[in-house]
Amino acid sequence: MVDGSDSNTIDVTNVVKSYRSGLGEVRALRGLTCQIPRGKLSFIVGPSGSGKSSLLYLLGGLDQPDSGEIAVFGRRLSSLSKRERDEFRRRQVGFIFQNFNLLGNLSAVDNVLVPFLPQGISAKLRQEAVDLLTQVGLGNRLDHRPNQLSGGEQQRVAIARALLKRPLLVLGDEPTGELDSNSGAEIYRHLRELRDAQGSTVVVVTHDRSHIQPGDFVLTIRDGGLEVGNG
Amino acid sequence: MFSFALKNLLSRPLRTALALCGLTVAIAGMVGLFSVAEGIQDTVRTTFGKMPGVTLLQPGAPLPLFSRLPTAWGEEIAKLPGVHVVHSEVWSRAHLVEGKPAISPPRFLFGSDLVQADQLRYSVYREKMVQGRSLNSNDRGTQRCVISQAIADEYGRVLGENLRVDGHDLEIVGIYKCDSLFLDVSIILDIALVRKLGHLGEDTVCNFYVEPDLDTSSEVLTTRLKDLFAGRSPGAWQPTIEQAIDLAGDSPMVKQLAPLARMAAAAAGGNEEVSPVADEIPVEVRGNEDWSQQVHQLSADLDLFLAIMTSIGVTIAFMGIVNTMLMSVSERIIEFGILKANGWSGAEVLRLIGFESAILGFGGGVLGSIVGWIATHAINAQFPTRIHLYASPKLLVVSLLFSCVLGILAGLYPALRAARMAPMEAIRRG
Repeated sequence: MVDGSDSNTIDVTNVVKSYRSGLGEVRALRGLTCQIPRGKLSFIVGPSGSGKSSLLYLLGGLDQPDSGEIAVFGRRLSSLSKRERDEFRRRQVGFIFQNFNLLGNLSAVDNVLVPFLPQGISAKLRQEAVDLLTQVGLGNRLDHRPNQLSGGEQQRVAIARALLKRPLLVLGDEPTGELDSNSGAEIYRHLRELRDAQGSTVVVVTHDRSHIQPGDFVLTIRDGGLEVGNG
Repeated sequence: MFSFALKNLLSRPLRTALALCGLTVAIAGMVGLFSVAEGIQDTVRTTFGKMPGVTLLQPGAPLPLFSRLPTAWGEEIAKLPGVHVVHSEVWSRAHLVEGKPAISPPRFLFGSDLVQADQLRYSVYREKMVQGRSLNSNDRGTQRCVISQAIADEYGRVLGENLRVDGHDLEIVGIYKCDSLFLDVSIILDIALVRKLGHLGEDTVCNFYVEPDLDTSSEVLTTRLKDLFAGRSPGAWQPTIEQAIDLAGDSPMVKQLAPLARMAAAAAGGNEEVSPVADEIPVEVRGNEDWSQQVHQLSADLDLFLAIMTSIGVTIAFMGIVNTMLMSVSERIIEFGILKANGWSGAEVLRLIGFESAILGFGGGVLGSIVGWIATHAINAQFPTRIHLYASPKLLVVSLLFSCVLGILAGLYPALRAARMAPMEAIRRG
C-alpha cells in the first residue's frame, strides 16, 4: 500500500485526460475512477471513442493524465520522474498494439529484443527471446522479417516482445483487431498461457467480447467514464 | 545499438546512398581544394628539402627572380669560415620560347656561375640529368643550355637541337627531370648570358646559394652569415670602407691609399653614416624551412579562398544531411514511439540517431577522402607539368574526422526532435 493505493490493484482515481485532434479538443476521460485486479486477464470494453485506449496508455505510463491519479500496484505514476517512467516502461510494462508495431528492418528475434537493445544483448537474453518465440510457435521463424510473417505471427512476435521482460503488466490495444477469428483465438490462448507462466497482469482493450471467459475482469467504459454495472 | 543503427540505414538504401553521395562530394571537394595548397607546400619541400645550403636574397623578395644583390658580396661570404662554395645566380623570365609567349607554365632563365657550380657537392639539376650533361666551366661564354624534360616535350626539342628563347638560339646539351613544378620550368645557362638577356649588370646577382663545408651545419652557417651583415643598413649596397679595405688585402699600395679612401668616404657620406637598425640586415638568409614558410605566407590568400570554397560545399552537404535525417525522423515517428513504448529513453533515441548520422558522416568521409585522393592523382597524371596536387595523410584524416563531426552535428537537430517527442504523440502522429 502506497499513498492509500493497493499493491494488488491498479488504482485509477478521478482521471481526466483530453487531447487535441484535428477537430479541436477531445475529452477522452472525464474523471474516471476504477480498480483493476492483479494477476487477471482484464478487458476494457466499450464503444469507439469511449476512452478505452487513452486509459490503457495512461496505465502504461505512455501518457500522463491532465488530473487525477494512477497507481500501479501501489506505485504512483505521477510521482515518477521521466527517467523512472522510462525505466518503469522498460522493466515492468509490455505493450501489444493492434497493428503489431514491429520494426520492419529487424528479424523476429531482434524485434523481441528491442527493449534491451540500448543496454546490449547478452547470449542468455537472446536465448530467452528464442525460447519465448518457440513457445508461441515461431521457433522456425526466428530470422524472418515482419513482412515475411502473417498477421497472427507478427502479433505473436509482439506478445513475445511484451513478455520477454517478465513485466508486471501487459497492455494490449485491440491485439486481435486485425486478425481473423482463428488467429485471434490463438493470440488469447498464448496470452493466457504466458500470463499463467509469468504471473503478469494482462489488460486488453477490445471491441470483441467473444474472447472473454468466466473469471476474467471486465471494465466497460462509455463517454470517458465507467459504465454503471461494471465488475 | 550500433548494429541497429546500421540496419536502419541499410533498410533505406536509396536515402542512405543519397546522403552519402552529398557528403562524399563535399569531402572530396574539400580534399581536392586543400590539396592545391598542400601541393604547393609539397613541391617546396621536395624542391628545397635536399639542398644542404642556404640562399641569400634581398630582404622581402618572395623569389630569387625579384631579388637583387651586389655581386661583390659573394667574395665577402666566401671568406667566412665553414663556407664551401658561394654560387652566384641570376634569374630572368623567358618571354618568348620558339616564338610563343611562355606564360603558363612560365619559363625561367637560370644563370649559373659555372666555375662555382663545378665546385658544388650537390646540385639539384645536376643530380637529375636524364640525357646529355650538365653545364660546366667550359661552357662559359657560350649559348649552351640545359632544359627540363617538360620543356623539351612541350617544344618538341631533343638533345643537340636548338631552342630559340627571346631571339637567341640556345644549344641543348642536357635534359634534366626533377618532377617539380618549381624546378622543371628552368632553362639553365651561363650567368653572363642571362645577365645579357635580363639586362642586368655584372655587379648584380639575384641571389647567392651558399653551400657549407662538411663540418658546418646550415644553422651555424646562417648565424655566421647574419653576423657578417649585422650592422649594415638594408640600404647599403657596398661594404663599409673598412670592410672594403680589409677585402682589398694588405699590399703596400692598399696601406698607402687607405687613409685617402677613408677621407673620401667620410666626405661623400658613405655607408658608415647610414645608421643601422639593430634587427635589420641587407640580406635574407633562407634555409629549407624558411622556403616553406615563405611559400606558406604567399599562399595565405589562396588558403582563404580555398576555405571559402570548401565551406560552401560543406554547408550544402550539411544541409543535405540535416534534410536527410529530418526526413528519416519524420518517416519513422511511429518507430520512435514504439521504441519509447518499449522503455527507450529520449537519450537512447538521441544516441540511435546520433549513431546513424555518425555512420553517414564516417562513410561519407571515407568515400570522400578516397574519391578526393584518386582525383588528385588523376589530375596530376593528366597535367603533370602544370599542377601538383597533394592530399597528405594528415589532410585525409582531418577530412574524415571533419566529416564525422559534420554528420553528428547534422543529425543533432532531427535527433533532438525525435527524442523530445512523447511516445503517444509519436504513435498517434504515425
